[in-house]
Amino acid sequence: MSAEREAIEEFDCFGSRCAALVIGPGQAGTAHEAAALIRRTLLAWHERFSRFQAGSELSRLNRDPRETVPVSPLMARFAQAVREAGTLSGGLVDGTLVGELERAGYAGDLREPLALTAALALAPARKPAAAAAAGRWRQLEVDLEAGTITRPPGLMLDGGGLAKGLFADLLGEALATHAGFAVNCAGDLLVGGAKQIARAIKVESPFDGRTLHTFELSRTGVATSGIGRRSWRGRDGAPAHHLLDPSSGRPAFTGVVQVTALAPSALAAEIYAKAALLSGPQAAHRWLAHGGVIVYDDGSHEVVTPAPVVTLEQLYATSSRSAARPNAALSCSVSSAAGSGRAIT
Amino acid sequence: MTRSPRTAAQLDARALARAKREALRRRARRIRRAVAGLTMTLFAMAFLVVYAQLASGHDPALVANARKRAAGASAESTAAASSTSSATGTSTSAGESTSASESTGASESTSTGESGESSSGAAAVTTSQS
Repeated sequence: MSAEREAIEEFDCFGSRCAALVIGPGQAGTAHEAAALIRRTLLAWHERFSRFQAGSELSRLNRDPRETVPVSPLMARFAQAVREAGTLSGGLVDGTLVGELERAGYAGDLREPLALTAALALAPARKPAAAAAAGRWRQLEVDLEAGTITRPPGLMLDGGGLAKGLFADLLGEALATHAGFAVNCAGDLLVGGAKQIARAIKVESPFDGRTLHTFELSRTGVATSGIGRRSWRGRDGAPAHHLLDPSSGRPAFTGVVQVTALAPSALAAEIYAKAALLSGPQAAHRWLAHGGVIVYDDGSHEVVTPAPVVTLEQLYATSSRSAARPNAALSCSVSSAAGSGRAIT
Repeated sequence: MTRSPRTAAQLDARALARAKREALRRRARRIRRAVAGLTMTLFAMAFLVVYAQLASGHDPALVANARKRAAGASAESTAAASSTSSATGTSTSAGESTSASESTGASESTSTGESGESSSGAAAVTTSQS
């Protein structure tokens, strides 16, 4: 069988690199047309969701003095994603910490990022982050039907990683009928396609850029969150980065410097990656039920493999075989769960 | 008043009654155990079915939500595509490192940059912190 050619578009977007890779024709046209469509759409969405452009839809929403603001369907969906992130992570992933980010020094494009090793050397004692007692994300109400967002004026949303994960998912829907695709929104990516073509997904080290691990997957959401790239030195000379501890509003140094999470969607992967990083080394694993890679601040890393999933067919087959031995099904699944674990590299 | 000694027939009847009572107790115990065992098995199986379905990413509630989102998303992305297609030249000339030229050589998405195509099926992608 001859492999179909894959159309590839790579471009600068969201202050980083994005890519669209498409195999075969589908709903969005030929592979080349589809890849070009993804590029155009992402660039347009970036303009609308930039916190640093006064005229962007997000900036206008953040400035709007009204309590209830009519917004585009995409903005409403993004606001809903902010709420979902807060709910799913128990408040650890909070997309409303714009004021705190700006106070920490992230009020514009970062010119000279601080090297990760230098930031870690200057960083305070490591401790896990925690949710804020009164998370502002709870005050956010979204009406998708009416296309409105209701929140106390002054509550601001940060595009950040949540928007990238959401965009990867939305564009992935548009490419679902193509044989294979990957949408990479600056590290948050969705891989899929009608023909379930396996693709290598490489996880890069935040220290030296080498590949730490390669997943071979045909359908998945992947997101990587870390403190290595968007780091700077605050006015007080202390190292700072864009992942804040919601309980203190300060950059979180937890002992984990980067997490890559796998999940059914890119948005979910983004939420899990951030929550795992903020939870610290002891609790990071519990966010990686679908698998992932954790990089610690001593430079070591750990590959978390997902627990083996028992399919319904296997379950039914086991149940019918063990009808005469009622405890057999139970012992089988227990031994299967006991066999799961993490591979430490 | 003295008790008259029991006859063999009476002793037989008592032994028989005792044996019957014992048999009834055994039967009750057996039924209780069977009911408890069956209940536990059914519960464990139902739990496993639900667990397997959720763990494999097939949560019905999430699927319903995803469908709803997908419907909204296609409408939104179509609208965005049509609104931006006229601005392709603008974004290309605005300094973004995109290229209209097409590379025909086999390439990996992570090393090429710009636009092109891979002749070897699905190219590798790299995820790194953004």
